[in-house]
Amino acid sequence: MEYAIRTENLVKRYSKGFTALDGVSLQIRKGEVVGYVGPNGAGKTTTIKILTGLLKPSSGHAYVNGIDVTANPREALRTIGALIEVPGVYDYLTPHEMLSYFGKVYRMSGGEIDHRIKETLELVRLSDWEHKKIGTFSTGMLRRLTIAKAILHKPDNLILDEPVLGLDPEGIRDVRELIRQFRNEGMTVFLSSHLLGEVAEVCSTVIFLNKGKVVSSDSMDTIGSTMERKAVDVKFLKPLSREEIEKLRAIELVSGVDVNDNTARLLYDGKPESSVQILRRLVSSNFDVVSYNVESAGLEDYYVSVMGEGKGSN
Amino acid sequence: MEIARHNIRNDVLDTYLSVKFELMRYSKTRRLLIIAALAIIIPLIFYVKVPDTAGVFAANVLTFINVLIVISAAMFAGDAVCGEFEKKTNLLSFPTPQRRSSIFAGKYIAALLATFLVVLLYYVVMLLQIAQLYGWGAIPTELGKSFLTALFFSAAAVSVVYFFSGLLKRSISSTIVGFLFLMVVLRVVQEILTRVNQEPWFIVTYSADLITNVLGVSSSLGSGRREALSTLPAFTPHFGVGIAVMLAYAIIGFVAGMALALRKED
Repeated sequence: MEYAIRTENLVKRYSKGFTALDGVSLQIRKGEVVGYVGPNGAGKTTTIKILTGLLKPSSGHAYVNGIDVTANPREALRTIGALIEVPGVYDYLTPHEMLSYFGKVYRMSGGEIDHRIKETLELVRLSDWEHKKIGTFSTGMLRRLTIAKAILHKPDNLILDEPVLGLDPEGIRDVRELIRQFRNEGMTVFLSSHLLGEVAEVCSTVIFLNKGKVVSSDSMDTIGSTMERKAVDVKFLKPLSREEIEKLRAIELVSGVDVNDNTARLLYDGKPESSVQILRRLVSSNFDVVSYNVESAGLEDYYVSVMGEGKGSN
Repeated sequence: MEIARHNIRNDVLDTYLSVKFELMRYSKTRRLLIIAALAIIIPLIFYVKVPDTAGVFAANVLTFINVLIVISAAMFAGDAVCGEFEKKTNLLSFPTPQRRSSIFAGKYIAALLATFLVVLLYYVVMLLQIAQLYGWGAIPTELGKSFLTALFFSAAAVSVVYFFSGLLKRSISSTIVGFLFLMVVLRVVQEILTRVNQEPWFIVTYSADLITNVLGVSSSLGSGRREALSTLPAFTPHFGVGIAVMLAYAIIGFVAGMALALRKED
């Protein structure tokens, strides 16, 4: 199977003896949106810099669409769009001038460049700013402009390194929406972030990296089912009486009850069928149920479970 | 064979795109405009005291060409390499299907072309002045040789600053260090060698004296200083050696600057 992005035992050692990557092997299928998470200094940006030809690995290989990035960077980088960290921009140019240059670098024709500039600037909501100096742009606009540059040549693969870093909530929402759009268009997206909420929102698979090593790689569905807590939180209309609490304890599928005012956490075996049965029993026993939530741990809890609490690189 | 030819064609095109982009950058940041304005204004100062012959007038005007070339080299080549890393624009330009060597070669060529343009402008203004003051027929034929020498010195100066741009981390540092190296350090070494009766033939600023020497006349400016230095041994750069030295500085500076640029990592 040909992967969109694949690495084989990537190792990156710096001259001062620091090992940033220690045998990282990744396999990302075409059309997947994959989150790459880990604490600061875990090696996320180093991996991305190797994938985009900015750094050479000490050993190992990185492939994009089956092309070795180190051996054949020109061909490999033609299929990649990348946004790495917070790149500098050419303040004194306009988006049109900047994107025209990169369009020529990608060997696009004049007409194609003009068409794609209009299209991408519209996508990132910068159409009105096409001929304005970049130096006047806000942080969010700059980030959207660098995303426009990354997708100008319609790459198969999009590599985003901390794309929402330093953005306000509106900017974060914009970037998230763009990633969803890219996913719907069938683009492979490799998203590095330390913001787990962002990753959980848009990614189908998450790779966890710590101290230069991959510690876990799972689909969001697997992570979700792994982290089910075998508990259901029920909110009632009124605080429960002593008799009502006893009634709850009497439900055969419930192994424990923890009541607090008008809410109760019911422990059970975690099976979906059992959850349905418990809800039916509550309704048939005339409990006034306001809400009924099967509690599931988030990506944060999973992150802590695979990384170990407080064991990040920094 | 076909692949190699295809790669070379791509490299040449990428270098051309980089040159064009840099020249656009110079014009947008008004750098080119400022230096070009200097190239036009400086020769006009010499209307104040017009000598008897066109040769002496040209020698007077050309007294300042070396300084202008060094300023131009520092302004255009100072940020050629380190500016890309310092401003993090490398994160935009490097992950694209072009070699870094093409990007940096383009930046070097653009700095060279901009400095050539400034020199050309300076000579054109001077020629128009001579034609206006002394008539077209009075234009010294040696000015062609002088112009050629000025281009060689431009290449050497741009390469020296380009080297510092590859060596240092900040644009401001490489601009200042490059300027001071060419204007002060080399001049001091040249002066010291002259005082100990050694010809400073390998110093590029000494070779640059050929720009006015080839005219065969002396400038009427600074005669007091010349009298003060009359006790020192008088060396005159040899044309062939001078050109070779300037060429050597140009090649070594460029190659060393490029090697440093390609070794730089984020």
